[in-house]
Amino acid sequence: MTSDTANLGPLVGLRVLELADEKGHYCGKLLADMGADVIKIEPPAGDAARRVGPFVHDAPHPDRSLFFWHYNTSKRGVTLNLETPEGRDLFRRLARGADMVLETLAPGYLPGLRLGYRELSAENPGLIMTSLTPFGQTGPYRDFVTSDLVSLAMGGPMASCGYDDIAGAPPIRGEGHQAYQTGSHYAFVGALVALYWRDLTGQGQYIDASIHEACSCTTEGAFPSWVYSGRVVIRQTGRHASMDPSQPWQFLCKDGRYVNLIGGVPRDQRQWQALLRWMDSKGMAEDLMDEKYQEVFRRRTLGRQDPLSHHVNEVLTRFFGNLPAEEVYHGAQACFMPMGIVRSPEETLDDPHFAEDRAFFSQLEHEELGRAVTYPGRPYIFQKTPWQLRRRAPRLGEHNEEVYCGELGLSKERLTLLAECGVI
Amino acid sequence: MAGGQVFSGLRIIDFSWWVAGPHATRILADFGAEVIKIETKTPHVYRMNGPWRKHGIALANQSQVDSPNLSGTFNNQNRNKLGMALDVKDPRGMAHLRSLIALSDVVIENFSSRVMESWGLGYDQLRALNPAIIYVSLAGMGHWGRDRDIQTMGPIVQALSGLTWMSGFPDLPPAGWGYSYMDHLGGYAAATAIVSALYYREQTGQGQWVDISQTEVGNTLLGAEVLEYTVTGNTRTRNGNRLEHPAAAPHGAYRCAGDDRWIAISVFNDQEWQALCEAMGQPEWTRDPRFATPSGRVAHQDDLDRFLEGWTCSQEDYALMELLQGHGIAAGVVQNGVDRFLRDPQLKERGMFVTVEHPEMGTSPVEAVPIRLPEAPATYRRGAPLLGEHSAEVLSRVLGLTPEEIGMLAQDGVI
Repeated sequence: MTSDTANLGPLVGLRVLELADEKGHYCGKLLADMGADVIKIEPPAGDAARRVGPFVHDAPHPDRSLFFWHYNTSKRGVTLNLETPEGRDLFRRLARGADMVLETLAPGYLPGLRLGYRELSAENPGLIMTSLTPFGQTGPYRDFVTSDLVSLAMGGPMASCGYDDIAGAPPIRGEGHQAYQTGSHYAFVGALVALYWRDLTGQGQYIDASIHEACSCTTEGAFPSWVYSGRVVIRQTGRHASMDPSQPWQFLCKDGRYVNLIGGVPRDQRQWQALLRWMDSKGMAEDLMDEKYQEVFRRRTLGRQDPLSHHVNEVLTRFFGNLPAEEVYHGAQACFMPMGIVRSPEETLDDPHFAEDRAFFSQLEHEELGRAVTYPGRPYIFQKTPWQLRRRAPRLGEHNEEVYCGELGLSKERLTLLAECGVI
Repeated sequence: MAGGQVFSGLRIIDFSWWVAGPHATRILADFGAEVIKIETKTPHVYRMNGPWRKHGIALANQSQVDSPNLSGTFNNQNRNKLGMALDVKDPRGMAHLRSLIALSDVVIENFSSRVMESWGLGYDQLRALNPAIIYVSLAGMGHWGRDRDIQTMGPIVQALSGLTWMSGFPDLPPAGWGYSYMDHLGGYAAATAIVSALYYREQTGQGQWVDISQTEVGNTLLGAEVLEYTVTGNTRTRNGNRLEHPAAAPHGAYRCAGDDRWIAISVFNDQEWQALCEAMGQPEWTRDPRFATPSGRVAHQDDLDRFLEGWTCSQEDYALMELLQGHGIAAGVVQNGVDRFLRDPQLKERGMFVTVEHPEMGTSPVEAVPIRLPEAPATYRRGAPLLGEHSAEVLSRVLGLTPEEIGMLAQDGVI
């Protein structure tokens, strides 16, 4: 690799075979957007994610799932039926020339087809195989099934999220397949650590990654609170779960939008005085100029039990409730306070800091729409080897000919026959 | 080399506080990197955060905390790392820091966006010290753009990126995330960036600057929602625990017997629905024709959820999970910290929680890394560094300072 290829991404030249469904397709996307040649291998009927909406024009079609589009950018796609001997043979041939296999199939499934790491690495000792599964390859839960919801429940994130001011409200899971994306990050890191190891030793290895475990170490204070204090954190509306009830952080503004101020009251003298000046300038400081409130930021951690801090929180609730949310967001930031406006995901498109100054979003041409589509942005800016959307998600079997004929040397007639026999 | 430490010999200078940066470097440290935390001599607030433990005993409140080395959250995030406490405002402190950077592989920080520049440690200066350095800046809004000075922490990033909006019931205020989810995920993005940049450097010898905005990372984690809007114009809102794509019902958290006990259940198709009915013993209500098809179950999920919870609410959560999983249904107890630590045989058998030795806290549990690499396994070698624990050791071993020089620095309050 030379610097001439830098703009192809840091992982250019790596060949990855992806046998991943929704649990691991984000890992494949992260690899592909960074330059790896990721070949998504789907059953002839297509990956299940192709049947998940929303769809272009609301018309379900395997090539028009926006869910599939997002998670499969920059990949090539082939179909292959691993349940047939010819299909397994083709897979073995592909694996001989691959650097990595990424798979999310049930534990034991690939070894049962004699396509486990032992068999594949016998022909390609440098092969790295990453299995990302709900609970890992061993243990009493290894054959449990999951959903993103169930993984967030068992792994712990959900127990910390919900409402304390709505009687009987259940724990809540944040949306967007966050358990699978959490697991996918770890699968990515594991694969790259193994790649680094292979560079040192020439040796590949098998990586066992568990979504349950990935979620279980993604819960901030929930685990330490128990093991170090013997206490369980309680979920509280719109703010951190904590061992004791805290002040509300989430405020409803005049325009019906919400803002979050961490801690619910200022944290220090500088914030407090700037805030008071701002409130006073609007004639809404109420009695907060009173001597007894001037040190209230020191009592912030006392939470809801502290009457002074509670009063300040209530006055702030009225103050923020009298202003539009954008004004509160920027006004509080000007007072040095960690304040954010609660935006819906697509509102980032309208924020010039991201959309213009940082050129966060990307475009991809979609010939079936006759136009370019704006895609969500990159997770990081690599100054030398940029993240890039290299191509739109593959249509079902789009690269069958390119891969099977162009790379494995099959004839077109053979390819047609394989399609007729349900092998591809 | 089987069983070796993959990142042995790799040195990371870590200026990061709180969770995001430390969680990134924790992963690299677990695989053998020498991560040196650079701290000020006055302990950062995160070092002082509860819960606390001293020689194996939990401390109930902050008034009992007489040392910057007793925080359980700090220990969990910073095990396996070394720590230096250094006065960078003293020219000698800064000079030694620069010498250290020259002998390192990665610099990571999650300060607000102007701090490194103000110290004369922006990327251009870092590169002058060490042409192959990999520099990762990790700030809420990133290092450039008109709002680079917006102050963020995890919850603010979650609010701005859409994650808070997408959590909760549609007719109620957002429930949000009850912790700094985006500190973890921002850290994971940084970890993926570091290993990618390291791999590229192995091939080419070239380092680079990677700038990460945690808010952007958060927005990419809702990429499917953003793409839906740009293609169809539809906007999405939170939907409780229900699932719109693919439409699935029942799909939620259902009350079980006991105080605040819940089970999450997801049913995606007729086969799983039939299995659930069988597990329940085919009660009369399941024969309601409204529940006979997936679309019927979705359309009538208020009633469906009520009936289902009428069944779950008298049952013990773990037994119910075993029963439903035995029928092939995705079902799991909503587990809190104690459940995962004491009642989860899977996490226990796979060693998800390990212990490290800590001189002031005693033997202390920490989370393991959730990836198993048999040829290059993660190791858990030590607890988090005491404040300034390795200042002298690093100056001596890495920079070759004499005991006299180090003694002078200590005497002058530089370390």
